[in-house]
Amino acid sequence: MGISCLPIAPSQRAKLISAGYKTLNSLSSVSPSDLARDLNVAVHEAADILKIASENRLVERTFGGGQAIVPGAQTAWDIFREEQTLKHITTFCDDLDTILGGGIKCKEVTEVGGVPGIGKTQLGIQLAVNVQIPADYGGIGGKAVYIDTEGSFMVERASQIAEACIRETLDNFVFQHKDYQMCPEGMQTNTFLSNIFYFRICSYTEQIAVINYLDEFISEHKDVKIVIIDSITFHFRQDFDDMALRTRVLSGLALQLMKLAKKYSLAIVLLNQVTTKFTEGSFQLSFALGDSWSHACTNRIILYWNGDERYAYIDKSPSLPSASAPFAVTNKGIRNAVLLCKRTRMM
Amino acid sequence: MVPFRAENPLDLPNRKCTVGCPNLDALLDGGVPCASVTELASESGCGKTQLCLQLLLCAQLPESRGGLSSASLCLFSEPPFPLRRLQSLSLSFFGTNDPLDHIYVRGVHSADDLLATLDRVDSLLSNPPSSLPIGLIVIDSIAALFRSDFDNNPVDLRRRSSLFFRIASKLKAQARRHGAAVVVTNQVVDVVGSDGGVRVGNYAWLGSSGRRVCPALGLAWANCVNTRLFLSREEVVVASDGSSEESARVCRTRRWIRVAFAPHLPESAREFVIVREGVFGLLGS
Repeated sequence: MGISCLPIAPSQRAKLISAGYKTLNSLSSVSPSDLARDLNVAVHEAADILKIASENRLVERTFGGGQAIVPGAQTAWDIFREEQTLKHITTFCDDLDTILGGGIKCKEVTEVGGVPGIGKTQLGIQLAVNVQIPADYGGIGGKAVYIDTEGSFMVERASQIAEACIRETLDNFVFQHKDYQMCPEGMQTNTFLSNIFYFRICSYTEQIAVINYLDEFISEHKDVKIVIIDSITFHFRQDFDDMALRTRVLSGLALQLMKLAKKYSLAIVLLNQVTTKFTEGSFQLSFALGDSWSHACTNRIILYWNGDERYAYIDKSPSLPSASAPFAVTNKGIRNAVLLCKRTRMM
Repeated sequence: MVPFRAENPLDLPNRKCTVGCPNLDALLDGGVPCASVTELASESGCGKTQLCLQLLLCAQLPESRGGLSSASLCLFSEPPFPLRRLQSLSLSFFGTNDPLDHIYVRGVHSADDLLATLDRVDSLLSNPPSSLPIGLIVIDSIAALFRSDFDNNPVDLRRRSSLFFRIASKLKAQARRHGAAVVVTNQVVDVVGSDGGVRVGNYAWLGSSGRRVCPALGLAWANCVNTRLFLSREEVVVASDGSSEESARVCRTRRWIRVAFAPHLPESAREFVIVREGVFGLLGS
């Protein structure tokens, strides 16, 4: 079992790898103070990493592969183990990564919603870039599919975000590992942009067609690790007199996307708009597309303004506690919020 | 059959149309983006229409000067169309009235009329009447079409937002297929009460002429535009002889343009002036 499967922050993973710790066994005989020195982190942080590592080693040793009773069936334990090895895509905002348990999960459908200008598209572009950070640098080295239904994907912005991502990843790495020979092959802005497969959609029929086509496309491009749809909503908010039909079409799309996520272990991120809904005498913000759509996604994250700060809130997740975290949209992309009180609030 | 081809972002068109002033272009990182919908929102008298007229002309500038070398189309809903002003701007920017030959103008009087017109615009975009392709579509103003025909009840509001999305979807498809820049103008409504409703964009508090306002047409329409620019004005006392009499004061109108939200621009603002020669941003504001 490699370091890449450890459920720790991607930045810590990168530090471990660049300090030469490639497997769990290599961590078995290290003391926290040694590790802290090697990684240039606080001792308690190193101790936490060792604790997680030893727990994972135990898991691995105690339960070797079991045989399924029914072909194709998995025990809950198998699924649990599989989940432990699930990869995460970092958002580059530590607080957001923390409440997400390390970042956006592969094999799951995550819905992100918020008012115009809150940063949905920015998060989408950031993820399309971050998925490409190579495994050697603590990322997962995949490619991205970006389905743009609104026309908000701007190449110049993607280029800025990719450039900042590459520079910071390389800087961190060189800092951690001074004797490492710089080989930024593929670590170039243009390569990062070319690895985003961009589809521009101008109607809901095209949207349905492209989602149908995704299976075929990804079977030819197995290195795609994230599919971003920005936004799932736009074309479904016009011309639908038959709301029941709309619900059926959308549930169909959601099912297909979920299957894709499982089949190719990739992350699916759906951006959604919010609307005002009149309930109990006051207007409240709620996700577009109605109540039945809210069952379609595994995880749901709401982006909102809190004073002048942007916050993300986990509204729905089968495995994560509800929590909110501040984030910022900077010229480099999504980053940590600069706050007086930077603590993550658990609710 | 492969219905779709993935595009490489590096091959996507990335053109901008200058607004005719380097300082304003700097705020917009080169101008109004093509294949995208940009909204100008402000109360009346801030300079939306002025800026639109200037854009209609600047689209014809050669690409070496930041333009699109193309004709432009203006759909207006608040007659009369300010032809004289367009003429004087044409003289200021080009020294001649010739550019007016490549500016197509049509009045629209309702949302349905706009939709029908946009259907006809399709063929105009595919077969431009002159040698120049149409690179810019301006709708001035979108808000005027929606302010009278709809009641404040759930059925009408739903019909209204469905229309927003149909119009926006049509505009975005045209912008994308023909690489055209789309600019729409919007009015503002006063914000009543302390709550202020839903915050949209970089500014929690948008003010103009000393009142708190927000762009009209609500949250649904805000979802329909890619970029929202907000224009505001304030009367500022520049000289006073010390007495409290109104007549002794000299007031000047100061105007600002702000990025309320945009996928490619950070929060920023710039002061601008409207003079006979056109609309110009001020340095260092």
